[in-house]
Amino acid sequence: MVGGPKRTRFFNSLILQVLLLVMAFLWLIPILMMLTVSFMPPEQRAPELGGLIVTRPSLFNYELVFKENPIPRYFLNSLIITVPSVILVVALASLAAFAFSRLKFWGHDFWYYLLLLTLMLPIPTLVIPIFQLAKRFNIYNTYLGLILPYTALGIPFAIVILRSFFDRFPREIEDAARLDGCSSLGVFWRIMLPLSGPALSVVIIWQFMVSWNEFLLALVTIESNPLKPLTLVPLIYSGPYMARPGAMFATLTLITVPVVLVYLFMQRYFVSGMTGGALRE
Amino acid sequence: MSTASSSRPDTVRKSRHQRLTRQEGLVFVLPTLVMFFVFVLYPIFYIFQASTMEWNGITPGVFVGLRNFVQLFTQDRIFHITLRNSFYWTFLTIFPQMFLGFALAMMVNSRVRGRVIYRAIFYMPAIISPIVIGIIWQRIYNPFGGLLADIAKLTGLTFLKQAYLADPKIAIFSCILVNVWQWTGFSMLLYLAGLQGLSQDVLDAASVDGANLWQRIRYIIWPMLKHVHLTLILLGVIGTLQTFALIFMLTKGGPNHASEMMPTYIFLKAFQLQSMGYASAISVVLLILALSLSIFQVRVLGARFFLSD
Repeated sequence: MVGGPKRTRFFNSLILQVLLLVMAFLWLIPILMMLTVSFMPPEQRAPELGGLIVTRPSLFNYELVFKENPIPRYFLNSLIITVPSVILVVALASLAAFAFSRLKFWGHDFWYYLLLLTLMLPIPTLVIPIFQLAKRFNIYNTYLGLILPYTALGIPFAIVILRSFFDRFPREIEDAARLDGCSSLGVFWRIMLPLSGPALSVVIIWQFMVSWNEFLLALVTIESNPLKPLTLVPLIYSGPYMARPGAMFATLTLITVPVVLVYLFMQRYFVSGMTGGALRE
Repeated sequence: MSTASSSRPDTVRKSRHQRLTRQEGLVFVLPTLVMFFVFVLYPIFYIFQASTMEWNGITPGVFVGLRNFVQLFTQDRIFHITLRNSFYWTFLTIFPQMFLGFALAMMVNSRVRGRVIYRAIFYMPAIISPIVIGIIWQRIYNPFGGLLADIAKLTGLTFLKQAYLADPKIAIFSCILVNVWQWTGFSMLLYLAGLQGLSQDVLDAASVDGANLWQRIRYIIWPMLKHVHLTLILLGVIGTLQTFALIFMLTKGGPNHASEMMPTYIFLKAFQLQSMGYASAISVVLLILALSLSIFQVRVLGARFFLSD
């Protein structure tokens, strides 16, 4: 913190600590409320502070939810949609980013800037044609109907991240390999890719988050309940659980906790991931 | 950067073979381009074409020229509301998120105890599904037994008891508040990255010259983070123009369309009222708005999508 006499420094850091504590507490209230309401016993009609304080916590809602709705199934659906889209984005985008960074070819800059347009497009503008495409290709109401658009929409940002990484890559190793007769594909596969761990983890984490939380395309593409990913689950139960907030919030908690745990576990990578690798070193 | 491979030593033998392999880059980008053509470029042409039709999405449409656009701009009250709300949303989310995110970044960038935990807490809302967040905030806002209403009852601060989501005058602002809560942590992270990229020498020099904390922020730190501000504004504008899930969950665009945004209106028209042609016209307007604002920011202001780009 700021220099100066010891006492002001101590005082400053105390103010800082208190300020942060208060802010953090305020910030956490909605998330705390999700937890507390989920532990609300069924007979409690008017909980205090909207359910933020639950005097006799009970696991009733969780038992009910596990009996009534197949959370693991939805979880699996989300994975079946998310994992292939992440793999495809990594595979296609890293190949393309390598080409944009290292190779000359017809329309090099034109293709690159055309792809960047995707980053400026609001997804809702594409929802009608993507819905119609899904119907025509018979991928409406299938996992593939989400995997393919998620991949297409995710590739451009991945290319930006990977290309800016490849561009900073020293050229000497590559030139040496080329003199030894290594092909472009060889340079990409044997030299660039194995050394791109940080950039690849950024792409993987980012794309995972985007595919996992996407809502609008999922809403219009997946019709039958057994195929629905987690983001659509609250909608399925918002009707039946209208008068049972405890059950609703238990469902929300079950959906959210795994994501938060993964996030806390991978926070270090996450931070650099979300800031686009800008936290260098 | 297009001169990437010009410095290679073997430019002497310009054989046909080499000219062929020079196009191999095209093969590398081909799968990407195919995906792009099918799921991005074709859809763009599609909405332009569909916007000139009266079309329910099932039977063949009827060509009506620019009628949809004329109706949109001259008669459609709801469309005008979505424009006004986009304006509110842009300014009331981007700037509060920037100032708050910057303040938080300054605080957690110090050597304060628990800074890693604080960062995690402030960022946490950004990783939670907006659908989950919408349901939680509905309960916080509920005037009957919601958190704010209960606090009002407990403390006598009766102004806290409002029909936050049911009053057409304040519904959009209630949604904006939730959005600020969700995304401030993201601004904090970008500023944190920016702060850690600043050279310590400049800050030390200022400190020696006797600049106090406020002066250092005002004249050195804030101006030096210009690239972060620009990135946040760029992402904020695009984020605003694609706001859907949060509104869909909190208000469904209501009451009486008071909190409607362009994406929710597209969804309403296309998938609930079966006016695919009209919804495509809204999509075209949204597309042109988003592209022109983004291209302006990137080309004229030099904004980037990505800090280290």
